[in-house]
Formats: sequence, structure tokens, C-alpha cells
Amino acid sequence: MDEFLSRALDLAAVKGASYCDVRLVETNQERFVVRTGVVDTISNDESLGIGVRVLVDGSWGFASTNIISPAEVDRVTGLAVEIARASAQTSNGPVSLGPAVTSRGVYTTPVRIDPFSVSPEEKMGLLLEADQRMSSVKGISARTGNLIFSRERKTFANSEGAHVEQTIYEAGGGIMATARGSGEVQRRSYPQSMRQQGCAGWEFVDAMDLAGNAERTATEAVALLTADQCPSGVTTLIVGASQLGLQIHESCGHAIELDRVLGSEAAYAGTSFLTTDKLNNFQYGSEHVNITADSVRLPGLGSYGWDDEGVPAQSTPVVEAGRFVGYLTSRETAYGLGLPPNGSMRAASWNRIPLIRMNNVSLEPGNWTLEDLIADTDDGILMEMNRSWSIDDRRFNFQFGTETGYEIKNGKLGKLLKNCTYTGITPEFWNSCDAVCNESQWTMWGIPNCGKGQPGQLGHTGHGAAPARFRNIQVGVMK
Amino acid sequence: MMGREAALALLDKALGYSKAQETDIYLSAQDLGLSRFAGGAIHQNVAHSNITLNVRSVSGKRLGRATTNDLSDSGVQKAVEAALQNALLMPEDPAFTGLPQPSEAPVVDNLDEATANCSPETRASIVRGVCLQGQEHDLNVSGACRTGVQEIAVVSSHGARAYHAGTFAGLIINTMSGNSAGWAKGGSWRLSDMDTEALGREAVSKAVDGQEPVPIESGRYPVVLDTYAVDDILEALSLYGMGAQAVQEGRSWMNDLIGDQVMSPSVTIWDDGSASDGWPVPFDAEGIPRRRVDIITKGVVNTPVHNSYTAGKEGTVSTGHQAYFTGGPIASNLFMQEGDSTLQELIGSTERGIYITRFFYTRLAHSKGCVMTGMTRDGTFMIENGQITYPVKDLRFTQSYVEALAGVEHVGSETKLVLNEVGFATRVPALKLSSFNFTGVTV
Repeated sequence: MDEFLSRALDLAAVKGASYCDVRLVETNQERFVVRTGVVDTISNDESLGIGVRVLVDGSWGFASTNIISPAEVDRVTGLAVEIARASAQTSNGPVSLGPAVTSRGVYTTPVRIDPFSVSPEEKMGLLLEADQRMSSVKGISARTGNLIFSRERKTFANSEGAHVEQTIYEAGGGIMATARGSGEVQRRSYPQSMRQQGCAGWEFVDAMDLAGNAERTATEAVALLTADQCPSGVTTLIVGASQLGLQIHESCGHAIELDRVLGSEAAYAGTSFLTTDKLNNFQYGSEHVNITADSVRLPGLGSYGWDDEGVPAQSTPVVEAGRFVGYLTSRETAYGLGLPPNGSMRAASWNRIPLIRMNNVSLEPGNWTLEDLIADTDDGILMEMNRSWSIDDRRFNFQFGTETGYEIKNGKLGKLLKNCTYTGITPEFWNSCDAVCNESQWTMWGIPNCGKGQPGQLGHTGHGAAPARFRNIQVGVMK
Repeated sequence: MMGREAALALLDKALGYSKAQETDIYLSAQDLGLSRFAGGAIHQNVAHSNITLNVRSVSGKRLGRATTNDLSDSGVQKAVEAALQNALLMPEDPAFTGLPQPSEAPVVDNLDEATANCSPETRASIVRGVCLQGQEHDLNVSGACRTGVQEIAVVSSHGARAYHAGTFAGLIINTMSGNSAGWAKGGSWRLSDMDTEALGREAVSKAVDGQEPVPIESGRYPVVLDTYAVDDILEALSLYGMGAQAVQEGRSWMNDLIGDQVMSPSVTIWDDGSASDGWPVPFDAEGIPRRRVDIITKGVVNTPVHNSYTAGKEGTVSTGHQAYFTGGPIASNLFMQEGDSTLQELIGSTERGIYITRFFYTRLAHSKGCVMTGMTRDGTFMIENGQITYPVKDLRFTQSYVEALAGVEHVGSETKLVLNEVGFATRVPALKLSSFNFTGVTV
């Protein structure tokens, strides 16, 4: 297939491109879905295509096709050049990429068990067993379970001499029980909403023990039907690890995307309050808040060898002892700020351009155990597992709903609470953090459905988090 | 663009590979050109072409699936064989009644050559025009202009043979000053139908009028919703409950409400995939004609939409709403009945309330009543004594959309087609609602 990449690079140069990169991507995916006792989906999905990105007259053009042939590669390369020339008609000046990227090498996600080597019967059997165990709980109206496995083979080359080959494996799964009764509808999920997913092999799903957690998950859904409503007011909040993963994603991860900061996403996803004057000059959170963006911490869904500009995977401090110190960058945006690029450009597929995407944006662990943290809390609520999420276009005002909550009274967990919500303003929230749990309660959560860009792209991101405590938080807006 | 003959020939070839008891194959193809702009310049400019075959094979009461965009003989054959292999792996599903029998879909003409062949230069020219409109008012202008053609085709071992091609054009404009923003969105199957200059004026006026917004207390206010906000309500009601799968699983807002008057008598909502004033797609991914379905009539909840599986479970027939290859049925061509009030009259009828251009990042907070949370964005204004008086800072709401539509006091006389990226279209009027629950304010 390398001949197609070389062909596009050569032709782009002939047509006047000052820079060109080409990605050939082949994706294989297996999906299994069980819905209330019925196998809803067993599917094999394959996708293959090539995308050509060029700079001509200082402006970008991109074209792609699913037909891999010399004639089609020539056509899309020519089209990319034509598009770039059109871009140059409405330009604010030539794009600068900074120092050349000349990475070369091969990367494969380390897996213990290739998920494609496990039989479909075993995968389906796992879901059916979990479904059967959920069905044993009275009051459950619907049950779902899903597994997903993917292998993406990607070759990237650019006109500066870079040539990297990567094979990225992902594995994921989850179950959910929905209960109806007493005029209520409630749900519980495991290991997290929709599913938990990582750059890993079959062992990642096997370790979830979906079947072993099925009955408990369903029982909790039914218990929520008659639980007390989450009270309204301002209180101390302990956010569970998986919910905190999404909190990090929405209020930090998106806010540090430098393309958003510079306005590239203004019309769609919005901008960011973390403007460039705040870099190294803004107290994003309390001293307990240390956040890192990396693409090397497996099984995080943002783990790879190089990004889709050929920049090597690396780790970048984002928040150090509460101080904002780093962005996620592309070559173009990093050069504009005088920074080195940190390998955060990823495309969802061959037919999309790379955008600045979160890799693994994680809250570093603190020193507390969850037991000690609860014992140290006189009055508050523990909320866990996301049910709804929303944040404004500058990433200030957020509101999250969780599947469960537990009252905390005098250092002990109390009654179960339903319809829990909390809301706040991002820097106020993170500055109210006074404790983070330790490594033993830290989990790398995977989010496989992060939307960004036009045409839309679904990004896969990782977020390591342990439970953490926040003071004076508004809760219970649903009541 | 493939064209009818090539699409059906490819599907016939694929069908010929099948050894399954029943097979259907859904082809989805798209040629897209999209120019994104920000800061008054094009910063992303892309084109893509893709053709995907989605195969379903049946063995007894078992249905397997496979998808590929490898259109070589071996690639297609592999997908067809994989679908059957997957079917053979499955346990029998007693509720599965087989693939649907073919039925004739109406012919809808929404293919415009000029839109299908729109050049990047033409899109750049449109972008340049709207950027200049904003720059005249010192506004930062961003957005996206897209054009293209979508083709779908279905063949089945039962004899279904359906093909449709439709073009699409869309323009999103976001204008920003230091402390205000405006918005406009246009869409049609014909690029020339979009008045891009008028859209530019609309976006500019909101940002100009919205400068120096004032924070107000959260709480309940009457609201006038522009069409973009009404579109959000219909999309949410669709996604979270207008499909029969959600109702059958007990997670729809419609559950326990079918036959009940739950919205204002002035609310009538239907889905019609063949209506030429929407974004017509005459048949679904199963090849079934998209029938008009009256979902809400004068505030009374009638019925969700069906695919062949959910219909089979209830002993009825599909309404043709299997919008995508997987997942449940979706109402994706929605209409809301217009009323008799101009937008000015909606505002004029409001003693004290809020005018909202659009909602942003709305998510389901609770399925009962379709309680949603989200933000206002790109033009939020106070109404006092029947007039817009000043811009306000954006607000967070937590509100049941079903309850909101129970409080419809007046309905706008003009409707707007709001076409989103993934083929979801609504034609909606502006609305005056008696009450909307704002639960927070942003900084």
C-alpha cells in the first residue's frame, strides 16, 4: 500500500503543495448487542480508505476516498489541491507548521489476548449470561449489554519524511438495567454508562466480570425506584471515579484544546475560557488538582505511538498544584504560541482531517482512601456514574446527573438517593477540591463518543480518575 | 455520485453472493464538500466520498449483519458471508418475523445538479460574503458551508429494489463580539434556495443587539423560542421516545401517555419522509416507504414510529423509520403545525419573559417527561411589555420538554426547515411558552 502514499505525496508536490500528508486507514470492528434476552446485533464492520491533506498557497485542503487505486489517489490528491487553493481565497495568512516532523517507526497496542482471536460464541455467551442474571431481578423492564472490539491499521506519511505504521486495538463492554415502577424509571450501568473501553485486548473485557456484576447492577436499578430524591442545596460532594472521568473530560479536556481556545470550533462546539493569557497564569483548581494529558498511559483510549501529524506520543502537564500550565496542541497551533507540538492531533477515520483531540487527560491520584474520605465528611453526598452531562460553549457552566447518590452523614454512607445532579462553574468547582483518593482507587476510564468537528468526528479519549471531594457544591436541581 | 444503475448493479451482485434464507442489502453513499471558517477565514476545507454496503442475512429467526466499504468482488463477498455467519451464531429470536416484504416508495425529486457539483470556489465565495457582513460590524465570524449528495439503495431477496439520491446544502454562521454572539442556520436540498445574505444579516443582528448582556436571576420565565430552539425540542422528543423500541423497553417519554392530552391543543407534530418541504428521504434502511405518522395531534399523543422488528412485535406494519442500519426506529423528518402569530406578535404577547435564539448542549436528565438540561446560546434577550429590551447572559435550564409544550400559548405562522448534518430534519415554527425553568446562569 506504500505506493499509494508515495504517489499522493509526489503528485501533491508536482501540483504545488508545500506540505502534504497521507493516511491510509483500515478498520475492522466487531459489535455484539443483547437487548432483554435477545441477541440484537452481531456485526462485522470493515472500513478502508485514504485521506490526503495538503498545504497550497499557505492554506489547507483535504480530500478522501474509499477506492484505493492509482487513478482515485490521483483524483483526491488533485481535489485536495483544488480545495486548498479555494481556501486561500479566504485566508488570514499562510499556515506555519514549525519544525519538520520526520518520525519513522511501527507501533502496536500491546495486548495479551488478541480480541479477534476469541470466538464470537464466547463473546455472545458472556453477554447472554449477564443478561440472564439481570433478568433474575424483579422490576427490570429492559436490559442491554454490548461488546465492541476494533483494530485500526494506519499508515501515515508526510512530505517531510515521516512514515509511521500503527495498529491500535480497542476492547470495550458494558451492561445496563432499566427499572420501571412506582411512577419512576431508573437505570444502572456497569462498569460505566454505555460501556468501559480501552486500548487493550480481550483481557480488558474479561476483567470486567460483566456477569458477576449483573445481578447487583439490576438490583440497584430497582432500589432506585423507591429511593429518596436528591435534596436541593449547597453541600459537600464526593464525586465517584467514573463520573469524575467525565467531569475532567468536559470541564478540563475540552477547555485545553488549543483550537477551541483560538476560535476554530466557535461555531459548533464553542470556545474556551482558558485563553492564552491564562497559560502559566491562572489558578484552575486547588493545590490538590494535578492533571496530565498523555498518550502513553495504557489502557487509556487516547494511547498511540504517534498522532495523525506524525508527532510522537508524550505526556504533558496541564494543571500543576492547581495552576494551569498546558494545552493540547497541533503543529500549527503550537507553533503560533511558540510551543513544541504535543501529539494531540487525531482523526476519527481516513475520511476526516485530524483535529486536536484529548488523549488521556487524567487527574493524578492523591493520598486518601475512599473510606477515610467518607469518614472525614460530616455531611454531604457521594454521586457516581454519569446519567446526563451538559456544559456551556466556553466550558464554564456545567450540570451533571448521576445514576446513584448516597447521603453521607457523620462520616458514614446513608440512604440511597435518586435523580442526583450537581452544577457549577468550572474553576470554582476545581478550586473547591480538597481531597483526591489514591492510586488504589484510580481507574482509567474510556469515552468512545466524544463529538467534535464538522463533518462530525467521534473521538476516543481516556480519563484516569479516583474519587475526589468538593466543597460547597450546588446539588439537586431536579427536585 | 454512483447513480441508480451502478448502485443497483452493485447490490444485485452482492445479493447474488448470498446463500442465506433471506438477505437484504442497504447501500449508503455520500459525496460531501465542507468549508469551515473561523476568524473570517477558511481554516478547514474538506471533501470525501464513501460508499458503504450494509448486509443483513437471515437463518430461521436469526439475523446477522456485516458492513463494508471494500467494493471489490472479494470485499463484498466477504461481507455477505460474514452476515450469514453471524446469523448462524445467534440464538433464535421468537419476535423476529423475517425481513420485510417490498413495497413501492413514492418517487421524490430532491436532486439538484448544481448542489451536487458545487465547487470549493463557490463555497469559498459564500463564506467570503458572510465574513464580510460580519467584519462590517467588527464581528468575528465562523461557521461551515456544506454541499453534497446522499444516495441510498436497498435490494432484498424478497424483491425489493429501491434507489434514491438527494442533494443537501447547509450554512451555519456564528458571529461574536467580545461579549455577544449571533447565529443563523440555513438548509435545503438546493443550494440556490438558501438566502446566504439574509442568513448573514440574521447572525449579525443578534450579535450586534446582544452586546453587554446582563445577568438575570434563574427561575421560571415565559419564553419565546426561535425556530432553532424549537428544533432542539423536536429532536430530543424524537431521540428519547418517538421510536417504538424506546416505548417497548419502557424508556420513552411516551410511556403511559399514549392517547392522553399532554401538550397544548395547538401542538401538532408529524413525521413525513416524502414531504417536499422537508428533506425528503422516501424509504428507510429496510427499503420501506417512510409513511406519514401523526405523532402528536392537537396535543394528544398518538403513536411512535416503527421499523419492521418493532412493528412485528405489535402485529402491525413498519412505518418506514429504520433511519440507520442499526439501532431502533427514529422519526427524522419531523414537522410541527404552524399557527397564526408572527414572531413580533409572539414577543408582543409577552409581558415579561425571555427570547431565546437557540439551545446548546442539551442532554436528557430524566426520561419521564423528557426532562432536558442545556444552555441558551447566541442571542438571549429580555422581553418586557411586549418588546425586547436588553440582552441577558446565557442561562442553564432543566425542563421537561413535554411540560414545556403543554404550555404553548401561541404558535408562529412561519416555519423554517432546520437540517442537521446527519440527515435529521425538522420544519418548525417559533413558539411562545407560558413557562420555562432556568436553573443557572453562566459567567
